[in-house]
Amino acid sequence: MAYDRRQTDVGIPQEGGGGPYRDYRFEVAHAEVPVGVPRTFKVLDPQRAASLRGWVECLVPARRGRPSAAEVGAAEYIDATVHSASGLRETLLRAIDRLQALAGDAGGGGFATADLGERTRAVRALELEDRSGAFDMVRDFTYEAYYAHPVVLAALQRDLGWDAVAPTRGGGMEAFDESLLQRVKSLPARYKEVR
Amino acid sequence: MSAEPADVIVVGAGGAGAVIAKRLAERGAQVVCLEQGDWVDRQKLPKAHLDWEVRGRRYWAANPNVRRWPSDYPVASFGDNPIDVYIYNAVGGSTIGFAGNYWRFAPSDFRMRSLDGVGVDWPLTYEELEPFYDVNEREVGVAGLAGDPCGPPRRPTLLPPAPVGRPGRLLIDAYERLGWYWWPTEQAITTVPYNGRSPCDHRSYCPFGCPNGSLGTTDVTYWPKALKLGVRLITNARVRSLTLDSRGRAQGAIYHDSEGRVHEIKARVVVLCGGGLGTPRLLMLSDSSRHPHGLANSSGQVGRNLIVHVQSFAVGRFDDPVEGWHGTWGGSVSTRQFYETDPSRDYVRGFIMSGVGGYSPLNLALQLAPWGPDHHDVLDRYLNHEVCMYLCGDDIPEEINRIELDWEHTDAIGMPGVKTFYRLGENSQRLGADMIRRARQVLEAAGARSVRDFGLSPIWGWHLMGTARMGDDPAASVVDRHNQAHDVPNLYIADSSSLPTGGGVNPTSTIQALAARCAEHIWDARRDWRGAE
Repeated sequence: MAYDRRQTDVGIPQEGGGGPYRDYRFEVAHAEVPVGVPRTFKVLDPQRAASLRGWVECLVPARRGRPSAAEVGAAEYIDATVHSASGLRETLLRAIDRLQALAGDAGGGGFATADLGERTRAVRALELEDRSGAFDMVRDFTYEAYYAHPVVLAALQRDLGWDAVAPTRGGGMEAFDESLLQRVKSLPARYKEVR
Repeated sequence: MSAEPADVIVVGAGGAGAVIAKRLAERGAQVVCLEQGDWVDRQKLPKAHLDWEVRGRRYWAANPNVRRWPSDYPVASFGDNPIDVYIYNAVGGSTIGFAGNYWRFAPSDFRMRSLDGVGVDWPLTYEELEPFYDVNEREVGVAGLAGDPCGPPRRPTLLPPAPVGRPGRLLIDAYERLGWYWWPTEQAITTVPYNGRSPCDHRSYCPFGCPNGSLGTTDVTYWPKALKLGVRLITNARVRSLTLDSRGRAQGAIYHDSEGRVHEIKARVVVLCGGGLGTPRLLMLSDSSRHPHGLANSSGQVGRNLIVHVQSFAVGRFDDPVEGWHGTWGGSVSTRQFYETDPSRDYVRGFIMSGVGGYSPLNLALQLAPWGPDHHDVLDRYLNHEVCMYLCGDDIPEEINRIELDWEHTDAIGMPGVKTFYRLGENSQRLGADMIRRARQVLEAAGARSVRDFGLSPIWGWHLMGTARMGDDPAASVVDRHNQAHDVPNLYIADSSSLPTGGGVNPTSTIQALAARCAEHIWDARRDWRGAE
């Protein structure tokens, strides 16, 4: 038994897997981008970088002591990932440009400077029309950058009691109490004898 | 290349190959193992890092099409219910990504045809395999508890059961309310110091690597001992084909090293342990005028009868926090209440249900949390409030479920990938539906506010079995009761592909016990192969 989510919204990763676009997952295996490391943009120009920051903030906004995705460097993480996985660059660049255009269509003065509500409407429009896989890619990368970041993990522990450090450091647990089996031990055998 | 042939070549250093190599070496055989992957750098195990969930989606991804290690080959999935294949090509094989659930098959698992009128019987019995379960469990270090009324009597298990945590207690309470059988899950995890290995420190999420070395992956169980015994392990050795001599006996293997250079190696005995996909792939690649449809394939069964288990998860959401982040991922407590065939049900065979912990933040967000203003509310509703149950049931072998070579998609040196074709049979569908229904019943009895499940498709390809199955009839099977190829006397196939049926439990324990038994036979037959030169 392994561990992964059921890919209900994404097909099985295979070449020619039937989707309308090439699955971003094929490109990222060797893109080793540690989360939580301060970094600057390498692929995106300042305008696109600002737009991507605005985009990831829409995906995971700040709330009551929890930072937004932009505040924990999700945009820089995405930039670093597509820097390592160059096959994804064009997809990202086109999507950012389209998002800027959608914001302009909505009558705004530019996506990056629009308020959160306007940006969210533009992102929603992009999600609905996207056939390139860019939206799913940016959403998933944003979640990666967010839910592996030490600041966010500390907030989850504080708010929800989820100990996110335990999987890397371990910890003590109460031993199994065999007396709990008293009833089951009294039951008859339940396997089929085979002669 | 050495002019002197080795006694035994083992192809594949995974769950089975490690057992064969070590056990033959300790008897005195000269063993060479060819492994197409490399050692895993333990510093790079995802769970050695705080961002382990991200690493698990990238270089540690269980699907080879995503992971793309140099040792991987592409796998394409077809059929009514395509398989999401999870395999690793490395020293340790797919054990390096397993969770350690370590069940024995039940006696009835060896008699599917006789008892239930479907599938096939094994050519051996539980009792014949039992001593090798014992031998292997001592080597691996298995946590558990003897006395489970759902299994035959056995010697006391070596190590104390793993802690069950709050998720386990919730499930125990449910089983007690329902009056069902339950028992601590047997796991290939050291819960106390054992053979130089550390006790489990409860990091959970075991398939993302165990930096502690407590999880019984063969790179930490069998291989250190095998190497001390003199086994020559050649990593990054991608076998292109097995070779035969003029008499039709297996002679060795041709392989490419990491630079693509071709080597030939010879041996008196060849043991193939490439797994449910890798083994039939290599047999098909080893075709010749003598074996036009693939080596050892006079029966036409190589690559056929692919079985994968009927699998799902059911997940209960509780009002109170469940502390599901620690323990063992593989299973705290399990039930075999529905393991044996029951005539009152509309299917034959059965299933297990194993309690697990709770999903981790990134995984949960990807599953459930919408982007935008509601994101945090949804995440908060589920994180630390869910208990998962892993569900695994028996799958009846069908010839139509198979693998083929894929010449359109090739590996790093141009060797073909694999196509899988799979359809979940009617019995498996009915069994799966009941399995999910029963799991919901447990979680509701445990007090879950709501329950979700993952259905049955796409198929999780964690347990790939049956594609070079054993049997007494050479016309209907590839290897005999000793894992010896019907067509090639000094060729053995001793991995998951040789399992005629898969039971309703995780198969690694049985695969390794079978490998231990095969090694015993190879050694007992040494007069044959040493005198055959």
